[in-house]
Amino acid sequence: MQSRRAARVRSASNIEANDENKATTTTRLTRAKAAALSTDAASTKLTTSKLSTTTTTTAAQNNRKRAALGDVSNVVKADGGAVEESKKVGGKKVSSKIALTNKAAATNGVTKTTRTAKAAPIKNTGKEEEVKRTNNGSGVMAKSRKRTTTAAAAAAKAKKEVVVEEKDASSVTTTTTTTAAAAAPTVKAVAAVELKVKVDAKEAEPVVHASKKIRTKEPAPRPPHNDLDDEDADDPLMVSEYVSEIFDYLREIEPATQPNPDYMDHQDELKWKMRGILIDWLIEVHTRFRLLPETLFLAVNIVDRFLSSKVVKLDKLQLVGVTAMFIAAKYEEVFSPHVQYFRHVADDGFTEEEILRAERFVLSTLDYNLSYPNPMNFLRRISKADQYDFQTRTVAKYLMEISLLDHRFMEFLPSHVAAAAMYLSRMMLERGPWDADLIHYSDYTEDQIMPVFHLMIDYLARPVKHEAFFKKYASKKFMKASIHARQWAKKNAKAHGIDISAPEPVESEEESR
Amino acid sequence: MDQSGKRHPSSFQQLEKLGEGTYATVFKGRNRQTGELVALKEIHLDSEEGTPSTAIREISLMKELKHENIVSLHDVIHTESKLMLVFEFMDRDLKKYMDHRGDRGALDYVTIKSFMHQLLQGIAFCHENRVLHRDLKPQNLLINNKGMLKLADFGLARAFGIPVNTFSNEVVTLWYRAPDVLLGSRTYNTSIDIWSAGCIMAEMYTGRPLFPGTTNEDQLQKIFRLMGTPSERSWPGISQYPEYRSNFHVYATQDLRMILPQVDPMGLDLLSRMLQLRPEMRVSAKDALRHPWFNDLKQLRAGLAQQQGQQQASAERARMDAAVRAQQMGAPMGGHVGGPVY
Repeated sequence: MQSRRAARVRSASNIEANDENKATTTTRLTRAKAAALSTDAASTKLTTSKLSTTTTTTAAQNNRKRAALGDVSNVVKADGGAVEESKKVGGKKVSSKIALTNKAAATNGVTKTTRTAKAAPIKNTGKEEEVKRTNNGSGVMAKSRKRTTTAAAAAAKAKKEVVVEEKDASSVTTTTTTTAAAAAPTVKAVAAVELKVKVDAKEAEPVVHASKKIRTKEPAPRPPHNDLDDEDADDPLMVSEYVSEIFDYLREIEPATQPNPDYMDHQDELKWKMRGILIDWLIEVHTRFRLLPETLFLAVNIVDRFLSSKVVKLDKLQLVGVTAMFIAAKYEEVFSPHVQYFRHVADDGFTEEEILRAERFVLSTLDYNLSYPNPMNFLRRISKADQYDFQTRTVAKYLMEISLLDHRFMEFLPSHVAAAAMYLSRMMLERGPWDADLIHYSDYTEDQIMPVFHLMIDYLARPVKHEAFFKKYASKKFMKASIHARQWAKKNAKAHGIDISAPEPVESEEESR
Repeated sequence: MDQSGKRHPSSFQQLEKLGEGTYATVFKGRNRQTGELVALKEIHLDSEEGTPSTAIREISLMKELKHENIVSLHDVIHTESKLMLVFEFMDRDLKKYMDHRGDRGALDYVTIKSFMHQLLQGIAFCHENRVLHRDLKPQNLLINNKGMLKLADFGLARAFGIPVNTFSNEVVTLWYRAPDVLLGSRTYNTSIDIWSAGCIMAEMYTGRPLFPGTTNEDQLQKIFRLMGTPSERSWPGISQYPEYRSNFHVYATQDLRMILPQVDPMGLDLLSRMLQLRPEMRVSAKDALRHPWFNDLKQLRAGLAQQQGQQQASAERARMDAAVRAQQMGAPMGGHVGGPVY
């Protein structure tokens, strides 16, 4: 009875809790918006007058819809359904569970081939990309983080805007003077800054700031973007005073929770295909329990990090999955489902005691580190650069979840996957080029995105392997994203150099022992 | 930290109980090998639900938050029936500090300024690392003999995304709970910790909680009586809050100077920026740290350090006296919850 109530409370709360259906209707937001728009327009003007390359038009910005208000949920939940659902769970799951073991067993017989040449280059490019990123993360990012704080310590919000612009102005200068001596760009940049200071006499501090920036500037220059955070100054939900520190921080800690992408090498009984089946089943469980999208991503991260450090028997794989979801829900949800629901959903394959013992073991194996920068956070951040277009984000969510099922994505950072998902989604929906704002808010250029983008098309163009995942996104509320994306991929794979007649990469990963 | 699996509860000698929380008991402890004093937080594992979500979040977040104004988590020891968190030892919490050191609970100007600065630094660090503390109160701020203040008890803390997700509104001890949360908001943000910090600042001046409400409604009323009852005019959107009542008793805004005559004008300015009813009007920790009230902190601290040496000696004497007296009277020394019996 108590858990029944809990379930009801949970489903009710999750209706609001879900990120995509913030039904916050307070008028203060509208007011904040008005204020935001005016600063916004001003900033755009400033940018266009200084640099003629601004891509976002003022008109588009004025039409911008706030995510928190404009969004309709992807996960609109029918109220009171949770209890019924959980009853069904018991009966229905039998087949699921059997399927899980059977399908898994079937893969044992698969003849293993060595990795094809096709998959290798993709992987390699990705690795290089990764190394670059990680370096940035530990060195430059850390520094830039400190800098932001000190700069922020001096500059008020309006000033910050100018700082960002100047930083970019200088980077543009650097490109034009390409092979000039190291000192030259600095001088030029400072000159550019000074020019600006004349216009805006109050800004003394940013000069130092901008010239400092040049020295540590990463080699690949990026086009100037608009600072869209100031428009959120009055929207408490956007935490605009900390947003840049927070995302710098998330980027910094990303590598710490990355699983070992080759962990299958040390597993005796498991194969990648079984992992795919497990995750597909977890997606089903996640949908049934009406949990937040963050919970699913965290759960899969827990599974992979655990399997990275422990050898697991096939008959315990599902326990790992269930336990990971149980832990993830405790961390992310306002009300997490009772352990008995997790037992039910696994068709009583494990006792509650087993799940609780597994919980302790998994937590201590992961050293209690659940600080996984969720790709959902990065996706929403990028969404800012396209006015929170609901359709692109819905399709992007589907594309992002591919990274959960297909183990080849495991070597890429969550932010990288989020950027690629948004990139591909925009391409499918013909939303225009990957402009300066998108580069800035995703933190990835088109070139950097390519390896992940190709992997996504590769997955989509091949036959459906994960039924539950496909079905989830074939529904209307997800805009039938899985159906459309697959159609698109089949049509366009060749144009992007994806050859699906090549052997299935999943099988080829499983080297014979 | 990475040896946590190998550590055993017996590596620590358990000393007196320091306090009892909702889901844990805290003991003073001593590392048997190094002799170092620690605080041992024992969390009992529910046989039905396993590791509490509060503990999972607290451990995960505290492992990240390494800052001089946040109490540091040394180790986690997991046994069959309990979970033991090993924290750095701090001498006392701010509540007890005020009771012991203060003049009827009230602290001196320099100490208040120093504590506020450290409190805001700890909060700013949490917020920059996307963590809301959600339970700031004097009992959760720990003080050591060097005059350092550190945030503790992250049992209600959690990481947030942007835009901030909907959370539970059953957070923060009533007296320190922000008006938007009292009005039923579940989409609060970093500003809820700032409200608590404002309440704590006032309390350090007076020695008494600023808004000691008994129920949700009473708490709102106590706040409105001082800050004025908000309306759609002063707070657009307020009527949308679930707990909003159109028949709230209408109070005029009081002059903070009258209520807190002991606070200097600059301090009052900072305080009023923290105690804004509307969350979006509340100053951020980052901005509060830049407030001119803190300009003379460095000078004042230099003076304080000198003073403290003397104070410490006299406090030590007082403690000895008290202990002797207590022994004579056969009564336990006051202050501590189940504290040491001399």
